[in-house]
Amino acid sequence: MWAYFKFEFFQFFSNKKNIAIYVILLFFSCYYALKIAPTYIPIEKVDVNEIEARYLTREEFLNNVEINEGTHHLTRFAATIFPEWNEYDKERLDSIEQHNLKEYAEATYKWYAYSDEMIFRYGGGFLFYNPGYYTYGNNYATMDGHYAYLYSASRYEGYSEGTSNLSVKVFEERTALQTLQRLLHAYLPLILIVSCILFTVDIVLKDRQNPTLLQGLPLSDWRRLIVKGGVSLLGSILAILPLSVGLLIIGARNGFGDFDLPVPIYFLGEFSNITIGKYLIQNMLFIVFWFVFIISLLLFVSVTIKNEFANLLVGCVFVIAEFIYFARGVAVVWNVQWYPTSYVQVGQIISGYRNYLYGTEALTFGNGLYVMGLCACIFLFFTFLISNRRKFKLL
Amino acid sequence: MIELKNIGVQFSGRDILKDVSVMFNPGEIIGLVAPNGTGKSTLMNVIMNYINPNNGKVILNHELEYTNKKNEVKIHQLVSMMPDQSDLYNQISGKEHLKIYSSMWNSNRKLIESTIKELGMKSYIKKNTGTYSLGMRQRLCFAMQIVSDTQVMLMDEVMNGLDPTHVELISQILVKKKSEGKTVIVASHLLENLEKYADRIFFMKNGELILVNAVSPGFDEREITTVRVTDLTDKIKEKFSKEFPERNVRTLSNGVTLIDVREYDSGRLGKVVEFLKENQIKEFSIGKEALTDLYSMYYQER
Repeated sequence: MWAYFKFEFFQFFSNKKNIAIYVILLFFSCYYALKIAPTYIPIEKVDVNEIEARYLTREEFLNNVEINEGTHHLTRFAATIFPEWNEYDKERLDSIEQHNLKEYAEATYKWYAYSDEMIFRYGGGFLFYNPGYYTYGNNYATMDGHYAYLYSASRYEGYSEGTSNLSVKVFEERTALQTLQRLLHAYLPLILIVSCILFTVDIVLKDRQNPTLLQGLPLSDWRRLIVKGGVSLLGSILAILPLSVGLLIIGARNGFGDFDLPVPIYFLGEFSNITIGKYLIQNMLFIVFWFVFIISLLLFVSVTIKNEFANLLVGCVFVIAEFIYFARGVAVVWNVQWYPTSYVQVGQIISGYRNYLYGTEALTFGNGLYVMGLCACIFLFFTFLISNRRKFKLL
Repeated sequence: MIELKNIGVQFSGRDILKDVSVMFNPGEIIGLVAPNGTGKSTLMNVIMNYINPNNGKVILNHELEYTNKKNEVKIHQLVSMMPDQSDLYNQISGKEHLKIYSSMWNSNRKLIESTIKELGMKSYIKKNTGTYSLGMRQRLCFAMQIVSDTQVMLMDEVMNGLDPTHVELISQILVKKKSEGKTVIVASHLLENLEKYADRIFFMKNGELILVNAVSPGFDEREITTVRVTDLTDKIKEKFSKEFPERNVRTLSNGVTLIDVREYDSGRLGKVVEFLKENQIKEFSIGKEALTDLYSMYYQER
């Protein structure tokens, strides 16, 4: 079996299609690191001018406002809430002027928490989040702002309580590890899963090009399939290597960050922090489960339909199926936690953002592993049954 | 030993193999001879279980049958079929191919070097097979089966693309494998070569496997039975029939005329020779029917 593994492994890495995928991933990773990452402008950036302008405007207002019986209720409201708000802004300005980033983090955490409470709870229609959320076509700007402010509050609380070296780049999530975290929250899992599909579509059916060489090998079809799956899993995991080149470039430019940096996790309406190290490990584990799921699915399709295009189609359907039933704010979809397709946005599942969007608490890391693992076991079980039928021919 | 019991294969209602029952013994070279498309490869594919027969079974060493996948692996550990040269991986070397087969069958690694040496493949074995000629590829496929070192070896068109030197070289290796107790089943169109080395030769026709001895009794005996004449004109043939009316004379589609001289003593045989000489016939031989003659008789005249 080991000999067959080595043989398959060698074939996998000499396959022109697979080499092309690795090269494309390497290109993508370098392009992202050199061209896209430097242009990243976070909505919640460290902008001293903006803080100062807001602070001075409100300070001016507080210094000049006269509250009496005839004062408009909103003026009265502003005069009530601005002092504390400005206090935090003043602390932010002072701390950043003194390069005391720990204090800046603490003040910023308080500022975000206070801001969200004022805007979300009391500010309907006249207080707004950062204008960056109110973009054309975004009907959920307030919800996005609410999430982002609570997220930022939790993140800055983590910075203020943690031991990591702080910098503006850390605050703006520009370091290599934080960029990776952002990518995991966006399309990186999809890219890895699609790569896995492309690696696996022909892993069984390619043997049809060399039937007489392979048919008579003294190895059962089931074992061959398992070895092929193992090789595909390993190959898919190794897709991380070309992607890590981009990470090294970002690290060299913006610093790598450290594994103790906080990552806010949303659950039951609240945020709590885990370390970025733990977040990355959970993501890796989840993505490996996705690989196992995709590979077992495609092995099953390979032994039933025996067509590479069918493999590609079925694999892609599982990746994009969530778009069929999920549309933000349109309807409630029941029991989404039982569909493996609901877990395709791996980073968003772990950070809890998907729960926030669905308005559920069921899309968790644990449920995801359970569903993906269970589905993979079912696919493998049926593949085992089919491949052990006496008249079954793999080629 | 490998036994085929009542093997029947039908494709689209047509019998490709019809109730084939035969036993192949250890230390035997078996020749399969038939025109293309008569079921030689199907028979080998059934032995390897690449094709499920409609009826019948393959039994190895009196006990193993293709009843489940576990047995299939056990049988494939002992029975191998030579790969087709078009199925080689062009981007890897011949030696890598040999290593793969040797490790898959867990055979003696020394066989790799000795086989390379025996087949004279040393000069190119480390190059990618994409650069090989047809003959080189064919030798590599043969070498792959040799390094797998199985008890039963099936070879379909093993001599394809080989020059006479290599045909002889491979034939010698087959004889060596036979002496090691292997069962070697060879399908080939090189009839003279098969006639020389095969212990038993089978024709295949209408899905049936027919031992050559059944077509021509005494084929494998060492006695003079036939005078083979090339280009015997009808006129001389007529003259011969008048002079030797009791003799059976047959002209095959390949132009060869066979004169049956069974039970002739040397005196009467001398008269036949004398007749041929008198009629200016220079190309003739005295011996027995050649496999090519039987092939011609069996497939082209009936």
